[in-house]
Amino acid sequence: MVLPKFEYKKARDVADAIALYKGQKGKAVYLAGGTDLIPLIKQRLSTPSVVIDLKGIEELKSITNKDGWLEIGANVTLFELKIYPWIRDNLPAFYESLEATACETLQLRGTIGGNILQDTRCLKHNQSLEWRTSRGFCLKSNGKECNVVKGSKVCFANYCSDNAPALVTLGAELKLEGPKGERVIELTTLFTGDSLKPFSIDAGEILTYIRIPAKKTKGAYEKLRVRESMDYPLVGVAVSSVGVAAKICVGGVGLQPRLYELEDAGIETAIREIADKASSDAKPVANAVVSPAYRKKMVGVLVKRAVKRAIGEGK
Amino acid sequence: MNNEFNIVGKRVVRSDSLAKVTGEARYTADLKFPNMLVAKVLRSPHPHAKILKIDCSKALKVPGVKAAVSGFDSYGVKWGVFRYTQDHAMLHTDKVRYIGEDVAAVAAVDEETALEALSLIKVDYEPLPAVFDPFESMKDGAPQIHSEYKNNVNIHIHIDVGEVDKAMEKAFLVREDTFKAAGEAYAMMEPYAVVALFKNGYLDLYMPNAGPHVRAKALSNMLKLPLNRVRIRHINSGGAFGGRSEVAPGDLVASLLAIKSGQPVKLVLTREENATASRQVHDIVATVKTGMKKDGTILAKDYKVVYDGGAYSSTGPIATSIPFYVYEECYRFPNVRYNGYRVFTNKGIRGMYGCHGRAFLAGNESQMDLMAKELGLDPVDVRLKNGLKPGEVTATKSKITSCGLKETILEASEKTNFRKKWAKPSKRKGIGMGCVAIMCGFPMGFRSGSSAYVKINDDGQVTLVTGLVDNGQGNESMVIQVASEVLGVPMEDINLVCADTEVTNLDPGAYSQAAAFVGANAVRVACENARKRIVAIAAEKLGIKETEVGLKDRAAHSIKHPDKKMPISWVVREAFFRGEPIVATGSFFPHIDFEREWVTRPWGQMAGTFSFGTSVAEIEIDQETGKIKMPKFTSAHDCGRPINPMAVEGQMEGSIQQAGVAALTEGNLWDKGHLLNPNLLEYKVPLACDMPEIDTIIVSSRDPAGPFGAKEGGLTIRMNAYSAVACALTNATGELFTELPLTPDKVLTVLERKKGVK
Amino acid sequence: MKMTRVSFEINNEKVSLDVRPYETLLETLRERLMLTGAKEACGMGSCGACTVVMNGIPVRSCLVLAPEADGAVITTVEGLRQDGKLHPLQQAFMEKGAVQCGFCTSGMIMTAKALLERNKKPTKKEIIKTMSSNICRCTGYKKIIEAVEEAAKKI
Repeated sequence: MVLPKFEYKKARDVADAIALYKGQKGKAVYLAGGTDLIPLIKQRLSTPSVVIDLKGIEELKSITNKDGWLEIGANVTLFELKIYPWIRDNLPAFYESLEATACETLQLRGTIGGNILQDTRCLKHNQSLEWRTSRGFCLKSNGKECNVVKGSKVCFANYCSDNAPALVTLGAELKLEGPKGERVIELTTLFTGDSLKPFSIDAGEILTYIRIPAKKTKGAYEKLRVRESMDYPLVGVAVSSVGVAAKICVGGVGLQPRLYELEDAGIETAIREIADKASSDAKPVANAVVSPAYRKKMVGVLVKRAVKRAIGEGK
Repeated sequence: MNNEFNIVGKRVVRSDSLAKVTGEARYTADLKFPNMLVAKVLRSPHPHAKILKIDCSKALKVPGVKAAVSGFDSYGVKWGVFRYTQDHAMLHTDKVRYIGEDVAAVAAVDEETALEALSLIKVDYEPLPAVFDPFESMKDGAPQIHSEYKNNVNIHIHIDVGEVDKAMEKAFLVREDTFKAAGEAYAMMEPYAVVALFKNGYLDLYMPNAGPHVRAKALSNMLKLPLNRVRIRHINSGGAFGGRSEVAPGDLVASLLAIKSGQPVKLVLTREENATASRQVHDIVATVKTGMKKDGTILAKDYKVVYDGGAYSSTGPIATSIPFYVYEECYRFPNVRYNGYRVFTNKGIRGMYGCHGRAFLAGNESQMDLMAKELGLDPVDVRLKNGLKPGEVTATKSKITSCGLKETILEASEKTNFRKKWAKPSKRKGIGMGCVAIMCGFPMGFRSGSSAYVKINDDGQVTLVTGLVDNGQGNESMVIQVASEVLGVPMEDINLVCADTEVTNLDPGAYSQAAAFVGANAVRVACENARKRIVAIAAEKLGIKETEVGLKDRAAHSIKHPDKKMPISWVVREAFFRGEPIVATGSFFPHIDFEREWVTRPWGQMAGTFSFGTSVAEIEIDQETGKIKMPKFTSAHDCGRPINPMAVEGQMEGSIQQAGVAALTEGNLWDKGHLLNPNLLEYKVPLACDMPEIDTIIVSSRDPAGPFGAKEGGLTIRMNAYSAVACALTNATGELFTELPLTPDKVLTVLERKKGVK
Repeated sequence: MKMTRVSFEINNEKVSLDVRPYETLLETLRERLMLTGAKEACGMGSCGACTVVMNGIPVRSCLVLAPEADGAVITTVEGLRQDGKLHPLQQAFMEKGAVQCGFCTSGMIMTAKALLERNKKPTKKEIIKTMSSNICRCTGYKKIIEAVEEAAKKI
C-alpha cells in the first residue's frame, strides 16, 4: 500500500523540530513511533506535506524520578515504561495500562507521547479514502453529519488510549513546547471534545514530557476487548488510590476520558453509585465491534471491578 | 501401528518448509519480470447502479500508463460453476451489484502512476435501489439484482426423504429454533494477487489458487483463447480455506491488461480489497426443527436455511447444500426435509468456506443437547445412538464405508471426562460436544478424479508430476511422502512438479477435501506402476522372485536376504539400456454417483469416502461481562490413517482456531452495503493468547480405498468446533445461542434472557 | 518528489540507496533490495507478517518509513542463516511443524528472534504474550509456540 507524497525531516532537538514545523504552514505533522500516524496517513486520514520525525531527540528518551515527580520523555516507548520497576511497583494502574496496550511488538515501537496523542477512532471513520468517499464523509472527515448517529452534528468517535486514563487518575501533567514557548498543562485539560481537534495543543506544539507525582499508589486498569492482544479498548477503566480516596477514569467511550473521584473506596454503596453514574454518563454508539448498550453497561461493571481490585478486594 | 511402513505415518518435516523458514519461498506478489507493470482496479462505490458510461481516455494519457480496460474490452462471457449459474462477467458493462465490484483497471509503470490514472477514469452511474437483507430481498417488489432470478432466489435446494410431517407427529419431543451467524472473512494471510504474462499468443498466470485446471478452463472461455494457450503456473499460496477455488475478477483483469500492453502485469489486492472484493462467507439464518423419540432417537428433521449469497452465484448450489450434507453424513435421519435458499443481496460475493455453515451445524448440535437434557439423556449417548455406522447409507443414499465416528466420540469424551462434567455444569463452566462428517471429494464430473505421472531419472531420483494443489495444508509434502513409501527412496530424492496446467493432468485441486483420498491415491497408483517395473528388473538381476523384492533406502533388496541388493539407479540404467525407461502413470477415480446433481437430483453416492470427527470445548463464562474463556479444547478426527500425523494435527489445531475460537470472535460487520471491518484489526482473527490448551486425537479407521487407508486430514474439526462451543454455552446456561459469533455482548444477552432480564 | 539517500546495515551488509521519503521500509526491502521474505498482509500494522528486526527491536516494516531506517542495523529472515546453517528458530519451526502456508512465517520467526535476544529464557507465558503480536491463519499457534520454546532451549 503506497503512502501519499510527503517530505521527511528528522529533528535534532525540540527547537529544531519547532523550527521545521514553522516553515510548513500547518501542513506538517510530528512522527514518533508511527504506530498510530502511519496507518492514518495510509488511509489518507492525515495528509501532511511534511513529516517531522522526533525519534532522534535524545533528551525526550529519558525517565527521571526527582523532586517528587516522575518525568517521562515523550519518546520513551511503552515497553521501556513497562519494564521500569518503579512504575510497576508504585503506579499499578499505569503499569497495567501499558501491559494492555496493543501488542508487545507495538509496545516496543510506540511511544508514550504518541499513545496519549493518538487520534480518536470510529468503525465508520478509520477506513480508506475509497471507503469513506463511497459512504459519504462524516464530521471527522469534514462532512456534514455523523455516519453512526443519523443526523447528529456531534461526533462520537472514541478516544482509545489505554495509558491516558491511567495517567489521569495519577494526576499527570504534560509539558508542551511550541512556537510560543513552553507550558505545562494538566492532562485532564488536554481533551477538547472536538472531533476535528481532539487535543488542546496549539499548532506546532510538541508534547515533550509527561510528569506524574512520584507517590506510591494502589491501582488497577480494566480493559474490555474481544481479543486479549492487539485490540483497542471497547471500554477501559483506570483506578488509582492513595489512602482511602480513589480516582477513576473511564476511557474508550466517546471523545474524551471521564474522571470520577471517590472519597472512600471502602464504602460499597459509594462504589456502586459512582459505577452507576459512570455508566449513565457514558454515551456509546454503534461504532465499535460490540453493541452500544453493552458497552454502556460494561462501564459500570468495569468501574466496580477496577475499584475493588485497586483496593485489594477483587481477584 | 505404523511399523508396516517406512515413512507413511511418520512425523516428517514437510518438504516445503525449508523454503518458507528462509524466506525463499515465492508467492505471487514476490514475483518480478522484466518490464513488469503494476495494475490497479477501479471499484464500484455503489451497492447497485446502472453503468451508463466508462471513459478511460484521460487515464491512458498519464505518462507511464500502458493499458486501461473495462468490461467493454472483454467478451462479456459470463462465468458460473454450473451451466445454470452463469451470471458473473467479472467486469460488467450493464450494472454494478456490490460496493467494491471491479469496474475498470489500469496497468502502469508503478503503483503511484496507476493510482493517479485510476482517479482519472470517469464512470457514469445511475444508482439503483439496493437490498442488503436476504429476507427483504426475497419479498415481492424488492430490487431485482439479476433479471433471471425471480425474487432474488439464486438457488433453492429441496430435499425430502421419508414422511417428515407424520414423523413429527409421532415424536415424543419436538423443538424448533432459529439460529443466525454472521458471515466470516477468509482472512487468508496472503492478499489475492495475480501475475499475467502474454507472449507469442500464450498467457501464463500465477496466482494463489485451489484448482489451476478449472481456472484455466474458465479463463480460456472468457478470453476466447484455446485452453492450451492459457497456462496456470505453480506458485506458493498463502492460504485459501475455500476462498480461492474459483476464477477471480483479478485473473481476467490482469490477463486483459497483459494482452493489451504486451508487458507482464502484476495485480496485488490490498487487505481491504481482499475482504470486500474477493470472496466472503455466507451469513446464515437456519431454522431447525427436530422430532425425537423418548430414548433420544432422532425421528425427523425439518430445515429451512437462508444463505445471504451476496451479488453473484459463485458456488451457489454447493454452498446451499454442504452444511446439510456434512450433517446427514454423520447422523441417521429416517425422515428429513431440507429447504435451502441462497438469496442475492447487494453485498460481496459469498463462496465456499472450510468452516461453512456454522449457524446450521452449531444450531443442530446445541438443540440436540437441550433436547437430551429434557429427556434426561446424555449427549454422548444421543450422538452414539444416532451416529452412522460403517456400511450404513445416509438419508440421500450415500454409503458409508470406513467410519470412526464412534471412536472419535468415545475418545474425546473419555479424555475430557465429558459425561461427568456435562451432568454437573456450574453457572460459570460448561462443556460441549460437536460432531460432523466430511465428504472426501464430491461430484465434479470428469474433474472428480486425478492422474499422476512419475519418471525415475538415471541417478535413481524421481520426478513426480501431479495436478494436486497445496494451499498451505501440506499436500505437496504428503504426495512426496506417499511416493517415497512406494518407491523406497527418501523424500529429498523426489522432485515434485504440481499445479501447472501445462504439464500436470487433471486433478480436483485443493477443493472438496479430495487431495489425500483422490490426489494422493493417483500418485500412489503411478508409483506402484513404476515400482512394478523396478521390481521386475531387480528380480531378474538379483535372481529372486518378484514377490520377494523390497524397495528401501534407494535399493532393491531381497526380503529374505536383505544383504542381497542393488541400487535403484542401476535398475533404472538397465531400463534405459533396454529402451524402456521407467515412467508410469496412475489415476484414481472415486466411486461417486455421477447422476447426482445438487438441485435436480440430490441423491446418490456423494463421495468415495467420508471422514468423521468430534470436538469438545470447555468454557468459562464471566457472569458480569459475558466474556467466554476457553481453557481447553479437545478434538478427535478420523482421517483413515495419518500420512503425516504432525500435518494432521496442524490441520486440527488450525481448525480449532478458525472455527472454535472464531465462534467467539469472528464475523463480518455491515453498514448496509459497506463492510465495516475489511481489515485485520476489527476483524478478529484469534491470536496466540486467545487459544485454549489443545489436545488432538487422531483416529485411524483405515479406509479400504484411501491411499494407505488415508482420508482427508482435519476438516471435520473446521465444521464441528463451533458446535462444541455453542453446546458448551448451552450446557452452562441451559439456553441456546441465537447468533454467532459469541462476542461478550451476545453472551450477556443469553445470560440475561436466562435471568429474565429485559 | 526528491529521492532521499539512506544508508543502513542489512543482514551484515552495508547498503546505501535512494528512496522516496514516503516509502515504507517494507517497500524498500521488497522492491529495491529484493528481500521478499517480509510480506505485506495488511499494510496497517495489524498482523506482523512484515516484521523485521531493527536495532534489536522487532518492527512492523509496513509502519516504518524508509528514511527512519537511516543508520540502522536491520536483520530480515534472509539474514538468519549463518554460513549456510539454519538459525535454531528456523530449524525448530521446520521440525515442530510450525509452518503451513508460510505467509506469516518470516514475521513470526523475526518476532521470536527479537524476543530471544532480549530474553534468553522466556517462559511459555512470555512466549505466548510476545507471539500474540502476529496473526497466523493456519496453525492455531500451538506448534509455533512449541517451536519458539524448542529454539530457546538450543540458543
